[in-house]
Amino acid sequence: MKKKLVSLILCSVMAVGLLAGCGGGGGGAAEGGSSGSGSGSSAGFVDGQLNSINIIVDGTVTATVDAGQAEFKAQWEEAVGEKLGHPITLNITQLDHSDYSGTVSRTLTTGQPGDAGYPDALIMSATMLRQYQTTGLLWNLASAYDNAEFQSRVNFPQVNENIRTPDGAQYGFAPTYGNGCVTYIKQGWLDAAGKTIDDIKTFDDYYALLKAFTENDPDGNGAGGTYGVIAAGFGKLDEAPFINYMPEFWQGAYPSFYQKDGTWVDGFTEQATIDALARLHQAYADGIIDPDTEEAGTKQAREKFFSNDQTTSEGAFTYWAGTWLRTLSDNLVKNEVKKADGSQETLVQLPPIQEIKDTWGGYLNREAPVWVITDDGDGDDAREQAIFDALFETMLDGDKVQTLWTYGAEDVHWSTKAEEFKTNEGTENEASYTYEEGQFHLKQSPNDPNTIWKKNHLDAVLVIAPLTNGYVSDDPLVTEGNNFFLENAVDAPAAASSETLSGVEADLVSTKTQLVNMAVVGEITPEEAVAQYTEQYGDVCATILEELNSAAE
Amino acid sequence: MSNNQDTTPVVHKKPLKLRMWNYRGFYLMALPVFIFVLIIYYWPMLGVRYSFYSYKLRDIHFVGLDNFTQLFKEKEFWSSFRNTLIISIVKLLLNTFVAVIISIFLNEMTSMICKKFIQTVIYLPHFMSYAVVAAIFTLFLSTSSTGFVNETLKSMGIITKSIDFLHSKTMWRPIFYLINLWKETGWGTVIFFATLSGINTEQYEAASIDGATRLQRIRYITFPALSNTIIIVLILNLAKVLNIFEPVFVLYNSRVLEVSDVISTYIYRKTFLTAIPDYGYTTAVGLFKSLVGCVLMLASDIASKKVRGRGII
Repeated sequence: MKKKLVSLILCSVMAVGLLAGCGGGGGGAAEGGSSGSGSGSSAGFVDGQLNSINIIVDGTVTATVDAGQAEFKAQWEEAVGEKLGHPITLNITQLDHSDYSGTVSRTLTTGQPGDAGYPDALIMSATMLRQYQTTGLLWNLASAYDNAEFQSRVNFPQVNENIRTPDGAQYGFAPTYGNGCVTYIKQGWLDAAGKTIDDIKTFDDYYALLKAFTENDPDGNGAGGTYGVIAAGFGKLDEAPFINYMPEFWQGAYPSFYQKDGTWVDGFTEQATIDALARLHQAYADGIIDPDTEEAGTKQAREKFFSNDQTTSEGAFTYWAGTWLRTLSDNLVKNEVKKADGSQETLVQLPPIQEIKDTWGGYLNREAPVWVITDDGDGDDAREQAIFDALFETMLDGDKVQTLWTYGAEDVHWSTKAEEFKTNEGTENEASYTYEEGQFHLKQSPNDPNTIWKKNHLDAVLVIAPLTNGYVSDDPLVTEGNNFFLENAVDAPAAASSETLSGVEADLVSTKTQLVNMAVVGEITPEEAVAQYTEQYGDVCATILEELNSAAE
Repeated sequence: MSNNQDTTPVVHKKPLKLRMWNYRGFYLMALPVFIFVLIIYYWPMLGVRYSFYSYKLRDIHFVGLDNFTQLFKEKEFWSSFRNTLIISIVKLLLNTFVAVIISIFLNEMTSMICKKFIQTVIYLPHFMSYAVVAAIFTLFLSTSSTGFVNETLKSMGIITKSIDFLHSKTMWRPIFYLINLWKETGWGTVIFFATLSGINTEQYEAASIDGATRLQRIRYITFPALSNTIIIVLILNLAKVLNIFEPVFVLYNSRVLEVSDVISTYIYRKTFLTAIPDYGYTTAVGLFKSLVGCVLMLASDIASKKVRGRGII
C-alpha cells in the first residue's frame, strides 16, 4: 500500500511537472499579448502609450552583450523615457550576422505582432527590404518620415528618397549612407614591388602589381606562397552590390538584375560579365588570386590578410571603407606584421582604377541598410507612429540618443571626463592616451582593452543628419577612410524586386555562384557559363524582367 | 467430439477495462511517459499537413498535391535523392567492411599494449565534431599555399600543380569516403570487436592442433562468427541511410553539388538559404524522405526477421 502511495505521488508530481512545463510556454505567449488572430496588437502598446519596443538587430550594432549593451540599453531607456515623458523598455535581440536574413525570415513567418519575440522594428539590408516591402508585413512610414523633426538637419535626403517605391510608399528608414568597399594595399609589399600607389592607374598596372606580390617574394622570406589578392568569393552573388569585393576584375559588369538607361536588364548575361569572368580566370590561372577565395567568408579572408604569418598572405584586399581601415590597421599591429625594414606594416587605399571610373564612375556605394517597423495590420497607425517617434525620431535627435547609437554608452564606450589610459601596455605597440575634463573621447573597447572603441551602430560621417553636440571622433585613420570613400564612390544600382524573383532568387544565386566558380577555375569557359545560365533560367529571367519593367512603367 | 471440446481448458481473458483497473498503478506510472511521447514526438508530426499548403510568411493556403508535383519535376531533387542513396550506401558498406578488417587485425594482435594503443588512436576521431574534421581536411587539402598535402606533394616533385581534391567532381566522393573512414571506422569496430571477444578460444586451439594456419582460422572461425553481426549492423543502418546531412553539409561546395547534394542539404538550402522560403514545399520534401525512410525501415525489419528470427521494430 505504501509503495502504491509513493508511486501515485511520484506519478502525480511528474504529470504536474510536465503539464506545468507545457503550460509555461503558453503562459509566456499569453504574457506577450494575443496570439490567436492575424492582426494582434503589440504588448508594448497599451492605451495609446508605447511602454516597450522589441528590436532585432544584426552585427552592425557593435555594442554587443559582451561589449556594453546593457549600459547602452539602460541609457537609451533613460534618455528616451525622458523625451516621451513615461518609462519605456528596449528589448534587443541581436542575431548572428551571417544568418541574419534567414533568422529574420523564420521569426516573421512563425510569429505575429503581439508575440513575445516578434519585433516591432528591425534592421534589413536593401535587398531584404525589396523582398519584404510587398508582403504587407512592413509599415509604410513615408508620412512619418516626411514629418520627422530631424528633417531640417538631413544632409543626404536622396538616401531615403531612393528607398521609396514608384507610388511613393516608404517601408524602410535609412539613418546612414550605405558605405562600400575600397581596395587596401600593404604599403610594405608595395615598396617591395618598387611601386607607389600613384603608379596604379589601370587594370594592367593593378594586375602587374598583383603578379609582383605573387612572384617577387614581397614578404622577403626567400620562398613563394604569397598571393596578389584574396576576397570572400570571386563574386558575392548573394549580397548587393555583388561585385564590390573584387571591383578591379568585375569593372563595369553587374551579375544581377539592374536598371540600364531606365530599362531593367539581366547583367549576368551581358558581355561585361563574360569579360569579367575571363579576367578572373586569367588571374586564377596565373596564381595571383588566393584559391581560398572560392570558399572564404569575409572573416577568413580578412584574417588571412592581416595574419601574423605573412608567408601565405596577400598584398591586396578589398573591404569596407572608413572604420574598417582602422580595424584592419589595428589587426596588423596586433599581429605584429612588419615591413621588410622592420617597421610596422600599414595600409594604403587604392583609388579606383581607370576601368572602374570609365564604367561605374567609382567604387560602389551600396544601397543603405534600413530600419523597418512591422505593421500589426489593425488599420490603425498609432502603434507604428509611436514606434517611429520613440526609435527613429530619437535615433537622429542630434544629441543624447543619437550619440548612443553613434558611439555607444557614456563612460563605457566614450566619455568627456578627464582620464589617462594605455593600450598594449608593456609591448612595443604601447600607446598612451590623456584627455582633459570636458574633452570628448572614445574609451578602450569593453571587450578588448588593447583597442580603442570605434563606433556603435551609426557612422558619424555617413549619418544622414549629423550630431549637433559636437561629439566627433578624432581618429584620423577613420576620417581618412571615410573621406576617401566619399570622394571615390558612386551609388550602386537599386536592388530588383519582383514576385517571380523572390521565389527563385536562392536558386539563381546558387547557380550563378556555381557557374562563376567553374568559369574562374577553368572548368568551363565564361561563354559557357552564361549559356548554361540562359538555358536553365532564360524563361524565368524573361518573366522577371517583364515584371520589373512593367512595375517601372 | 463434444467431449473433447469440453476437456480443452478455456482461458477467459478479463475485459480490458478490468485489466486496466487491476494494473492501474502501472498504467499511472506509464502515463507521464505516454504524455511526454505524445507531446515531444507526435504533436510536431501534425506539421506534416503543411506539405499540402503553400506556406510563405503569413500567406498560408491549401494547394493539395502541388508541392509534390513540383518536387517530382525538380531535377535538383532527383539528383539529391540519387546522391543520398549512393553516398549513404557506399559509406555504410565501406565503413562496415573496413571496421571488420580492423577488428580482425586487432583480435589477432598479441601485444595488449599495442592493441589498446591502436584502439585509442582509432577511436579518437569519432569524438571530434564534423565541423572540426571538415576544417582540418579543408586546410590539409587546400590548393592554397597553406594546403599541407599539395605543398608536400609539390616539394617532393610528385606534382607541379595543386590538386583540387574537394572541388573535383571525380574526387569529391572518394575523399568524402576516406574522411568518413578516418572518423568513424574506429568507433565502428567496437561492436565487431565485442563479438570477436566472445568467440570461444577453444575453437582456435582445436584448429591449431588440427594444423590450421592463421589465415585459415580467420577464414573458418573468425569470419563466420562475425557474419551475423555484420548483417545486423548493415540492416540496422539501412533504415537510416536517408538521414545523412552533417558530414556532407560541412564538406560540399557549389562546384560539386551534382555529386554531393543529398536530400537533407537540398532541404536546408531551400529552407534556410532562401530569403522567403516556402515551408510547405520543404515540408513536402521532408515528408517524401520520411516515407522512403519508412519503406526502408520495413524492408530492414523483414530482412532482420529472416536473418535473425526477430524484427527491429
